[in-house]
Amino acid sequence: MEIRDENFRIWAEGTTIYFDGVLRLAGPDAYAPIHSLAAAALHENHERVVFDLTGLEFLNSSGINLLAKLTIEARRQSSVQLVIKGTTQYPWQSKSLPNLKKLYPQLDLQLA
Amino acid sequence: MADLGSIRAETILMDGAQTSTRPWGSFRAKFILVVGGAVLLDLLISGGLALWNVQRLSRDATEEVGHGLEQASQDYIRTYANSTADQVSLLLGQVNSDVGVLAGVLQEQIDNPRRQADIGSAISTTSPGSIRLSFDPVGQWAQNAPGSPSVVSAWSYLLDADHSPRPDVQAEIQASAVLDLVAPSLLKSGSSKLQMYFIGPKERPIFRTAPYTDQAQTFDRLYPGHNEANFWDFFFPGLYETWQSWAAGAQTQPVADGITQTAPYTDAITGKLIVSFFHPLWSADRKNVAGTAGADITLDQLAQTVENVKVAESGFGFLAMSDGNVIAISKDGEKTIGLRSASDTKGTGVTGLERSLKGSSQPAITELANDLGDEIRHVMLDQGGAPVPYMVIMKKLPPVNLWEPGQVRKDAMSLGIVVPEREIYASLFAAQAKISDATNRIVLYQILAILFSLMIVTMAVLAVSKRITGGITALAGAARQIQTQDYSVRVAVTSRDEVGEASEAFNRMAEQISYHTENLEQLVEERTAEIEDAKEEISALNAQLERENRRLGTELAVAERIQMMVLPLASELSSSKDLEIAAYMSAADEVGGDYYDVLEADGRFKIGIGDVTGHGLESGVLMLMVQSVARALQEAGTKDPVKFLVDLNSALFKNIVRTRIDKHLTLAFLDYDGKDMLISGQHEEVIVVRANGALERIETMDLGLPIGLESDISPFVSTRRIKLEKDDIIVLHTDGVTEAENAEGELFGIERLCEEAVKLHDQSADRIAAGIIDRLMAYIGSHKIHDDITLLVLRHR
Repeated sequence: MEIRDENFRIWAEGTTIYFDGVLRLAGPDAYAPIHSLAAAALHENHERVVFDLTGLEFLNSSGINLLAKLTIEARRQSSVQLVIKGTTQYPWQSKSLPNLKKLYPQLDLQLA
Repeated sequence: MADLGSIRAETILMDGAQTSTRPWGSFRAKFILVVGGAVLLDLLISGGLALWNVQRLSRDATEEVGHGLEQASQDYIRTYANSTADQVSLLLGQVNSDVGVLAGVLQEQIDNPRRQADIGSAISTTSPGSIRLSFDPVGQWAQNAPGSPSVVSAWSYLLDADHSPRPDVQAEIQASAVLDLVAPSLLKSGSSKLQMYFIGPKERPIFRTAPYTDQAQTFDRLYPGHNEANFWDFFFPGLYETWQSWAAGAQTQPVADGITQTAPYTDAITGKLIVSFFHPLWSADRKNVAGTAGADITLDQLAQTVENVKVAESGFGFLAMSDGNVIAISKDGEKTIGLRSASDTKGTGVTGLERSLKGSSQPAITELANDLGDEIRHVMLDQGGAPVPYMVIMKKLPPVNLWEPGQVRKDAMSLGIVVPEREIYASLFAAQAKISDATNRIVLYQILAILFSLMIVTMAVLAVSKRITGGITALAGAARQIQTQDYSVRVAVTSRDEVGEASEAFNRMAEQISYHTENLEQLVEERTAEIEDAKEEISALNAQLERENRRLGTELAVAERIQMMVLPLASELSSSKDLEIAAYMSAADEVGGDYYDVLEADGRFKIGIGDVTGHGLESGVLMLMVQSVARALQEAGTKDPVKFLVDLNSALFKNIVRTRIDKHLTLAFLDYDGKDMLISGQHEEVIVVRANGALERIETMDLGLPIGLESDISPFVSTRRIKLEKDDIIVLHTDGVTEAENAEGELFGIERLCEEAVKLHDQSADRIAAGIIDRLMAYIGSHKIHDDITLLVLRHR
């Protein structure tokens, strides 16, 4: 399963969902397919689901809103350990990802 | 596909056009040339080899047969020559033997004088005509009368004055009468002899000859003067003396058989060419010569033997003396080897015959005369002006004592056989001709076989080429037809090879061309209809799009209006006596959700800055709600910044749930109480530049949580207090500033913002704001602005 554009690519490999490129979609409607892809992983009763954002150069505010919503959904599915892998290489990640940890302290945020 | 097909067809047609102008450039012609050429070459090589072999075989066979036949022919001729020589030797041997017998009888008489006298007197009694001579007054000689078996003549110088033989002569005559007893029987037996005779010793050379002839008369006619000279000196000068020297032991006989032979000469009695064989008689003491016994044979006898030689068609023999004088030869033979007779030039003795090889008109024969060795020679003889090859075989006969006037020497006659080579080699030539015929026949058959094979192969190549190239020819023809716009043409697929595949492809192509061409109008109509349908559809879509755009445009216009409507008025910005506030906001093409505010109540200033996620009407509405709630809380006197934010979040969260606006926002407030600045809420970094230019960056991450995500954010909200002195400035911004991209996609970044703020810090708030925006816009250039750009600059007066 893969969602792609000339600027970005999001795909699932096992229980890991990779986000790559620059995501600058217009709003919640535009992000809906990505939300479905990631939410499905959360609802498939895996022990551990990883969002790998290390290749995601930029995410606009609507995208951050999507991550926040996914984090809140993960908080409701306490059986799933959500891991978010990020990098300090891209400024938006160090600025926005810690909020997710605040929303859901059990989130395993790995900022490298 | 249709286009491609037509191009391909055109190409084929061009080839076809070239083919029709150059028949030898056609595929079939090339095929025939290549295959036919290869076969022709093969045939020529194998045929040529066969012909060469046959020729060589023929040559070898001819050579072998020729060699064998030539050897056989030469052996035959050699044998023939030997046998002829033996015949001649036998003839001569018999004459020698006959002369020997006569000489033996006469010698016996000489050796026994008494018996000689008795026999003489006995014969004179029984045959008085044999010893009684009568004088001839005309010839001045005495001779017995005819009727006796032999004639005996006594020459004038042997007669008395009364014309009677001297007594010693008469005694000799009487003694010689014994010849009458022996000679007739000898003449009858053995080889044919012309005559046999006795000649007395030089002192009384009576001449007794059997049979009887008028010999003295003949001598008178042929040899005038003979009656006056001594017989021996006149007829055989030197011969008697030679014999005498033999008897005295002064000379030895060249050939020790006692016989002396003359060269051919004209016989006085018969007038024929004869050869005389003498057997000298010796005195009883053997110290002197006592006359001779002799026999003459005509050359005819020898010539007959030699002339009997008949080798092949016109081969002949000849007998030559060692000096080259030919003594026996046929007339034709004489002519063939160019002999010329000449008269005897010696002038003395018996008249000889001069017909020498040396005088031949044929140079090859003249040369032959110089060397009569026993060998086979090949000579060219001129025959009627043309040189004809002849083969000459010489065979030497046993040597004899030959008298020549004045001397006796050893001489050997040579027998020669002359045969035209073409006759002796007739069988060889016949064999060669047969081989040649056979060769020619084989060669002819071979050539015929090659021609026949060539014909068969040519026919086969033509047939096969027609079959092989037929498909291509048909394709070319069909392509030409298509050129003339006859699209109905199809090629018959007769083979399963590449040509067949090409034909099938051609047919499919032709069908497509045909279909496309014939259905072009219909196709155009169909397509036109399709296009019209599409056009209508597009128009409909366009209209829909326009409506949508209009709606969106309206939405955006409303959103923008709301955004602008809720922003503080300029008078509100400048309402503080301590703070100089400059604000800049630029909406992106698709209006974002930036928000800023300056709220004043009871002397308390609350400066807010936020960023709603997304854009459009919903963002605008959310912003309006935020502004309204903030204003309400401010008016309600909520002084605690934490409570302020928590309440605001709580109100908005509930409204977000109700309105199903799937958005949230970052929001931070700066509360100024106239002394310090209190920062709360999570938003971008707050930049503080002190009057001295020192830069402070205040992180707000830990001061709150985005509004609208959680119903209660109280656990996350806190405040940060910063002192604000005179001429210190604070710069607030939304991410539209730091995340603005230049043409290379690089972000403007917080660093450049801080740098610019530091650089401009001692200027008025408006100028600082304008300077930063100038720098930012220069950075972005013509690149797309993704987000709203909001900048607030506060300056402590």
